[in-house]
Amino acid sequence: MNNNKYKILIIEDEDNINNLLKALLETSGYQVISSKSCSNGQMLFASHRPDLVILDLGLPDYDGMDFLKEVRKDSLTPIIVLSARTNEKDKVDALDIGANDYVTKPFSSAELMARVRSALRISRRSIGEGKLSGVRFKSGDLEIDYDARRVFVDKTEVTLTQTEYNILAFLSKHSGKVMTYTSIIRDIWGYYDINSTKKLQVNMANIRKKLGDKPGKNNYIVNELGVGYRMCEIDE
Amino acid sequence: MKKITERIKNILIILATLSLCFVLCLILQYIFNDSALISAIFVLGVYLVSVLTPGYIYGISSALLSVLMVNFAFDFPFFAFNFTIAENIVSAIILLAVTMLTCGLTAKVRHQDAIKADRDKERMRANLLRAVSHDLRTPLTTIYGSSSALLENYDNFSDEQCKEMLKGISEDSQWLHRMVENLLSITKLDSENVKIIKTETVLDELIDSVLVKFAKRYPNQAIDVDIPDDFVIVPMDALLIEQVLINILDNAVQHAEGMTSLKLKVFTISNKAIFEIKDNGCGIPESNLKDIFSGAYTTISETCDTKKNNAGIGLSVCASIIKAHGGDIKVENEKTGGCVFRFTLNMEDIWNE
Repeated sequence: MNNNKYKILIIEDEDNINNLLKALLETSGYQVISSKSCSNGQMLFASHRPDLVILDLGLPDYDGMDFLKEVRKDSLTPIIVLSARTNEKDKVDALDIGANDYVTKPFSSAELMARVRSALRISRRSIGEGKLSGVRFKSGDLEIDYDARRVFVDKTEVTLTQTEYNILAFLSKHSGKVMTYTSIIRDIWGYYDINSTKKLQVNMANIRKKLGDKPGKNNYIVNELGVGYRMCEIDE
Repeated sequence: MKKITERIKNILIILATLSLCFVLCLILQYIFNDSALISAIFVLGVYLVSVLTPGYIYGISSALLSVLMVNFAFDFPFFAFNFTIAENIVSAIILLAVTMLTCGLTAKVRHQDAIKADRDKERMRANLLRAVSHDLRTPLTTIYGSSSALLENYDNFSDEQCKEMLKGISEDSQWLHRMVENLLSITKLDSENVKIIKTETVLDELIDSVLVKFAKRYPNQAIDVDIPDDFVIVPMDALLIEQVLINILDNAVQHAEGMTSLKLKVFTISNKAIFEIKDNGCGIPESNLKDIFSGAYTTISETCDTKKNNAGIGLSVCASIIKAHGGDIKVENEKTGGCVFRFTLNMEDIWNE
């Protein structure tokens, strides 16, 4: 264990959940700062510069979304939104404003910890490496060689079209994080029209088929119905 | 859009009824050469209009129209308006009075029907609420009892016992979670005809999501999946349909005793997507088959002492979700044992109508 622990800020007004999160994170070796209101959270964020924020949306003083907007003005610190709102629209809104992930209450501890680890990993990767040249992505049997633009499953090469490769590479660069339909479309095609989502869905269906994914099996790409897609990180 | 078609329909009713009356009067007058029947026939016509159409407007306008018609065609002088003759005015007033009274009466009856329907709905909701609160006590007992026991006498329990109690807490809180999801869907669908928002959903993605969630809950229960190879898109509220599938699968695991195989099949016929969930368990007693979706609310209260009986709510949620989608849901017992749940969804986008 290193003494240079990750610092995590919890903003959650419900005492029990706050305590639960604190206990969970501390036993996993993170340093925890906790706050029960939006304004106090903002102050702590500015003074402590945490590595990750876990943010509840329903706070007594302001809506968590306001905090999200405020922080995203000048910071890329990963933020995991924790909320009882289960609407697809709420999820999409939070993710599009800049949340890195969205966990709905009630959540299991294993699920939350996996999201925390993955959010920290993504932010570390983007700070540490800057560009991804010379890097290969690996998740289970799936391997992507970014330089050669080639994809392998179980050491066998898979032939993808340009667009399919672009989507897969985009998802893999943000692996562990849900990418909304809009964010994928904006990156791949640059513009959005009414047929975009369908175009994306067709491409995704082809990608899944080529990767040998079957519904319900442990797949490389997870569907978040009505929200977007998430590339799984299967540990080597 | 709907309002306009409604209005056109009502106007057509007026025109059809009155022209029918008019023709009938002409014929009768021709046969009997007597005008005694004419007001009676128009009174009948106006009465019919006020029964068939809502509100006062259509009834009164048809009354005015028929006053004009009678005055014009059948009262002296024939085929000319004349409102100066006292007889004509009296008959007009009588016709109007009859219309007002019928309209008032039908409106009253309609109002009472609405109140009664409201009351029925209210009673159903109260029943549901009672059943649910009763059902919620079972898992809460486990959660409250186990956690307080652990808190107070932590040291007196063996490791094994502690784990067992914690497992109970975890299982029962998950059950509560599912129950709350179902209740949320009920309220979502009940609130004043809220139109569900259909989005184009890829069948593969839906089934994948269902299977992943199901596997999390029942890691040891295998499902045979048979879905089309093609790229199929069905407009739906994906989260609600996902809930329908999970509820039905869940119901099979919980209640189909002796089940060894569970099958999920989806196929398309012309513009319909048909979902089939088949098990080879004990089947459903014929007596319950009829109201497994609808009457479930009332049957729960009788059986809720049996543990975790949320089948009633789960399946009636399925029914209201499918109904809100304009689809159809059915359950049948199989001759070979077990039962099959089948529901259909339209594949044509509803906005293209």
